[in-house]
Amino acid sequence: MSRLQRAIETGAHPLSRRNFLVVAASGGAAFGFAALGLAAIDPAKPGAPATPAAGPLFEPTIWFEIDAVGLVTVNIIRAEMGQHVGTALARILADELEADWSQVRIVHVDTDAKWGLMVTGGSWSVWQTFPIFSRAGAAGRLALIEAGAKLMGVTPSACIARDGKVISGGRSISFAEIVRRGDLSRRYTPDEMDKLPIKPVNERRLIGRPTPAIDIPAKTNGSAVYGIDAKVAGMVYARPKLPPTRYGAKVASIDDGAAKGVKGYLRSIALDDPSQTVPGWVMVIAETYPAAVRAADLVKVEWSGGDGAKVSEKDIQDHAASLIADAGAGSLLDTGGGGDVDAAFRSARSTIEATYTTASALHFQLEPVNALAFEKDGVFEIHTGNQWQSLILPTLATALDRPVTSIVMRTYLIGGGFGRRLNGDYAVPAALAAKALGRPVKMILTRADDARFDSFRSPSVQKLRMALGDNGRVLAMDHAAAAGWPTQVMAPAFMPKGANGRPYDPFAIAGADHWYEVGAQRVRAISNDLANSSFRPGWLRSVGPGWTNWAVESFIDEAAHATGADPVAFRVAHLTGKGRDAGGPPSAVGGALRQAAVVKRAAARAGWGQPLPRGVGRGVATSFGQERDMPTWVACVAQVRVDRSSGEVAVEKLTLVVDAGTIVDPDGARAQVEGAAMWGLSLALHEGTEFANGQVRDTNLDTYTPLRIADTPEIDIEFVDSAEPPVGLGEPATTVVAPAIGNAIFAAANVRLRHIPIRPDDVRTALSATS
Amino acid sequence: MISLRINGRSVAVDADEDTPLLWVVRDEIGLTGTKFGCGIGMCGACTVHVGGRATRSCITPLGAVAGADVTTIEGLDPAGQHPVQKAWISLQVPQCGYCQSGQIMQAAALLKDFPDPSDQDIDAVMTGNLCRCMTYVRIRAAIKQAAAELKGAAGRE
Amino acid sequence: MLKRTLIALAALAALGVVAFGALAWRAPIAPITPPAASSFAPALVAQGETLAAAGNCATCHTRRDGAPFAGGLAMQTSFGTIYSTNITPDPETGIGAWSEDAFRRALHEGVARDGGHLFPAFPYDHFTKLSDTDVHALYAYLMTRPPVHAPAKASKLPFPLNLRALQAGWKLLFFRPGRFQPSPAHDQQWNRGAYLAEALGHCGACHTPRNALGAEKRNQAYAGAPIDNWTAPPLTAANPSPAPWTTPELLAYLGSGVSPLHGVAAGPMAPVVHAGLAKLPEADLRAVVAYIETVGGGDARAAATAPAVSRALAADRLGLGATYDADARLYTAACASCHYNAGAAPNAARPDLALNSAVSLPDPTNLIRVTLYGVGANEGAPGIVMPGFGAGFSDADVARIAAYLRRTRTSLPPWSNLEQKVAAIRAQGRGE
Repeated sequence: MSRLQRAIETGAHPLSRRNFLVVAASGGAAFGFAALGLAAIDPAKPGAPATPAAGPLFEPTIWFEIDAVGLVTVNIIRAEMGQHVGTALARILADELEADWSQVRIVHVDTDAKWGLMVTGGSWSVWQTFPIFSRAGAAGRLALIEAGAKLMGVTPSACIARDGKVISGGRSISFAEIVRRGDLSRRYTPDEMDKLPIKPVNERRLIGRPTPAIDIPAKTNGSAVYGIDAKVAGMVYARPKLPPTRYGAKVASIDDGAAKGVKGYLRSIALDDPSQTVPGWVMVIAETYPAAVRAADLVKVEWSGGDGAKVSEKDIQDHAASLIADAGAGSLLDTGGGGDVDAAFRSARSTIEATYTTASALHFQLEPVNALAFEKDGVFEIHTGNQWQSLILPTLATALDRPVTSIVMRTYLIGGGFGRRLNGDYAVPAALAAKALGRPVKMILTRADDARFDSFRSPSVQKLRMALGDNGRVLAMDHAAAAGWPTQVMAPAFMPKGANGRPYDPFAIAGADHWYEVGAQRVRAISNDLANSSFRPGWLRSVGPGWTNWAVESFIDEAAHATGADPVAFRVAHLTGKGRDAGGPPSAVGGALRQAAVVKRAAARAGWGQPLPRGVGRGVATSFGQERDMPTWVACVAQVRVDRSSGEVAVEKLTLVVDAGTIVDPDGARAQVEGAAMWGLSLALHEGTEFANGQVRDTNLDTYTPLRIADTPEIDIEFVDSAEPPVGLGEPATTVVAPAIGNAIFAAANVRLRHIPIRPDDVRTALSATS
Repeated sequence: MISLRINGRSVAVDADEDTPLLWVVRDEIGLTGTKFGCGIGMCGACTVHVGGRATRSCITPLGAVAGADVTTIEGLDPAGQHPVQKAWISLQVPQCGYCQSGQIMQAAALLKDFPDPSDQDIDAVMTGNLCRCMTYVRIRAAIKQAAAELKGAAGRE
Repeated sequence: MLKRTLIALAALAALGVVAFGALAWRAPIAPITPPAASSFAPALVAQGETLAAAGNCATCHTRRDGAPFAGGLAMQTSFGTIYSTNITPDPETGIGAWSEDAFRRALHEGVARDGGHLFPAFPYDHFTKLSDTDVHALYAYLMTRPPVHAPAKASKLPFPLNLRALQAGWKLLFFRPGRFQPSPAHDQQWNRGAYLAEALGHCGACHTPRNALGAEKRNQAYAGAPIDNWTAPPLTAANPSPAPWTTPELLAYLGSGVSPLHGVAAGPMAPVVHAGLAKLPEADLRAVVAYIETVGGGDARAAATAPAVSRALAADRLGLGATYDADARLYTAACASCHYNAGAAPNAARPDLALNSAVSLPDPTNLIRVTLYGVGANEGAPGIVMPGFGAGFSDADVARIAAYLRRTRTSLPPWSNLEQKVAAIRAQGRGE
């Protein structure tokens, strides 16, 4: 506690990051405040002493500093939730800096205006950071060479930097010594930074080379600190009582008579939330968390109002279908001119049409949402793991009725993000309770509460049509997708306007604007207002492509079969790389031809075309990731066995080929693809829920059945060797697996499934309909 | 007061006997490596050893472990170098890491009962441990690597 | 049950009030000043300690968190709640004023020092077989315990069952006083075991079904019975466990609380083992096993073990790999981490549920109770626990697991109304 006090007393506004900086052993990862706050409470380990950076410091940009003993500290504004993002980003900077990797550590910083937009999502981290960190590293390298040359009495052009040293002929001087003795007053303006030269690919020494992730050792011995581990003296615990609906409920009465018998129970508070983030919430406060849990079970709350208590999944999906049927509904995407879709359909030799649906799916990140909040010396501190601090800070300001500048979010490890923690709504009730009580409040949701409060993936309905001309030539494609729109509900400023002037959620329709050459093309994005008003739709790993690519890649397969073409050949034939699909710099060089290449490669790797036993089939699907200007090219071949009597689908093998440009951290990249593919498998066959009477039906693992180790098939992953700019890896592989499986089921059993998750009953029903 | 041993130390805890062991370990003792995941014994994030057996601490009442020996992830190996932990680092198993304390505790217990585990043994024993990042491929491989190391160590003795 | 009882009692009343009255009256035995603890020989006290453990005196005569032998434990019988009495040598509230004669009369005849009849929840129908020597040692042990002032709680029995005089009629009908008579047909070990089990251990008190008036049915000795919201399984050949109760299995179970092929001693059986049988000298434990083995004849059926084990190990492989069976998923995720077995034989520390008695019994009570409430470190296998799933699982979840096990691990008929049974057992609570 004293450290915290000292830090707050000495800190500039909001809180000086450096005062919270903990530097542990070489190569360690530190979290602004987190490690500091918790080191002392673990009697199993000696508390790691906080070693302050040894001054003087060389800090040419806000992104890193080198201290007098040569330790390079890289500031990471991205949340660590399993991507080993700090390792990947620090490698970019350290490579360009020519640092000695063993002297590099990372700090996941707390919020501060100076960091700009703080968001971790969209598989953007490496893609967005690469140019910034490359130049930051280059700036440091040049300054160190300049100063080092001066100290050695040589010209900078006679020097190189390598392994944390500046070298001239047979002489060298360490970065540490330069920091101690040299003149490092050099600072760079953004303009100067933009012009700095970046090393050619063949001089990279860290990028693309295998390295252990810095965050991993602490995740194997219990010392890693997550938001749920946050602690401060004098805190009380809270468990909420959730209203029957996400919106509109008001507390009519609270009866805590029975809870008063629970030892440690303090009181129940109905939250007054000016931000309307958590309407109708009651916080049950106790001295321990188990007491809060027990007491909350005994507190009786009555609510009034709350539309949506009667809304169920079918209502939402029926509403989506009716919106799709209304040709005037929705926003039209710019599909590059598009051509006259209706005319093409009128002149078509034949048309195909199919409707695809996806069920509601929970994030079910393993760490239930939680937050510790307290006010200290005029600053409101929120201790929690979060993916989009910049989004929730203004909401917190509204809720607490205080300026954003007097709120700081302390950074912690995230026990599973998958998009759940892009939505920081859970920080609000903890903050409000702390404000109301005037003391620190640690709120943890139980698993069932977490599921009920999840901003889960909206169910979706999509209708796809294709117009075919002579010889199966594709004349036009029409795609309408309706779902709840997370961005509309939570971040409407991020909605661009469509070709018809209507704003749309880009994340909810991404993927429908694919790279296939299909002639005239129309993509219509439709917001399901009933979904938006009944629950809070969320961004879930890959977001829109989770449903759009299910539809697109199933439908392309249907089109291939309808025209008598091989599914691989059909895809390759339509990934021509012409026109708008040619792609271009900076990140989409090669365009659709790179997508065609991964499709061919995956097919070859999976033995496409080789005979299989009866009942076994292969299916292919591909994706460009989420965004056309940051495409990650992925292809997947699934091999499945269909049991015709039970309807069970056994996935025997998944083969994935990924072209994500430059791979910064090869093992981390592989891990991301493995995890993403398994997520895709889980969403395809194992997990899904239903919205029922204003709530999700499944709230815990007794009935919600995500992928487990026994469900895990053999997986084969190949990365395309590429020097193109790095793009994203966390999400793209998620969306190819379901359609690859659906297409494989068709190959194995000649039935087409158009809803995920695919359940054995669905397969049996489809089989009995065809036989 | 209920007495038990945690990581070899005797502790006396002043809490209701129906308090889940998980919260005793985390909040009373302050060992936060053991995690809260589902609260119903279905995710394994809270796995500790009681008497050397992997046990879901979220549904184990304090009263049930009176006098028992509890080991948490912090106590599995004094240096964090149990063969399972070493294999986990070597194969870079953890992603978000939240479930991994439980995975490691379960895997360490598995190897006592199944020193040479088949895929089937691993599936059966580890299926109770959910990994939401779905690092399952690496968990399988790391268990086998740890088994090999343990066998090698046994062979040398 | 109660209705039948009342009818029977009415009939009893018709036997004749006069004769009955004479029979019901027993003389008090004069109180004594409690003898000094030092007046008992340490060896005798030690012998009494072993006997008291084997007789599980403390289990019934100690309430949760209460002082040993000070009574107060509530026992739920089908007639109502009876509280155990204080048997510490406190002169006012315990048995401090009881002479050894009074103590012996209580054990042998079910009569308190003041002449009142004891309820047969106190198993004097077994203790009547105790030898005077053992009574002498038990007396020495109990009279040297620290006296605890703890007044007895009044039992909650409906009229007229609460009339102690009526107990005389019960005795007339069902009680056969007399010391244990060895059977010449059996050897000394067997007879020793029979004595320990019948007299001191009062195994039949739980394992023998009782009639409408709560007396053990002599013609159904050890046929299994409900007890304290649990099921005491049959000890006879009717025991449905897939593997027979052979001598090694009985020895392991009664000596350590863990049988590799049947499971662990849970519920009311846990203290019987851990506070009692486990403390017997090895020879006495073996004697008890020798006797109990002949009740079920397990050794003669030992050949059934190997096929049962291989069936169980095959069942352990069910539901593995990717599965969509929701019940199999629930079972595997919740249970298999501890209960799955592979290899040549099940691991005793991984109770195999295809072999576990609770899964094969006609009644699911034991399985449901263990699933809901778990097994503590001081029960079952010492030092290890099974967590209770009751806090997190719905009644339906517990019912699904029970039904799944019954379906996949046995060829026995399914249990009916499982979910309601789970709800009912949950309503009973964990119990003490």
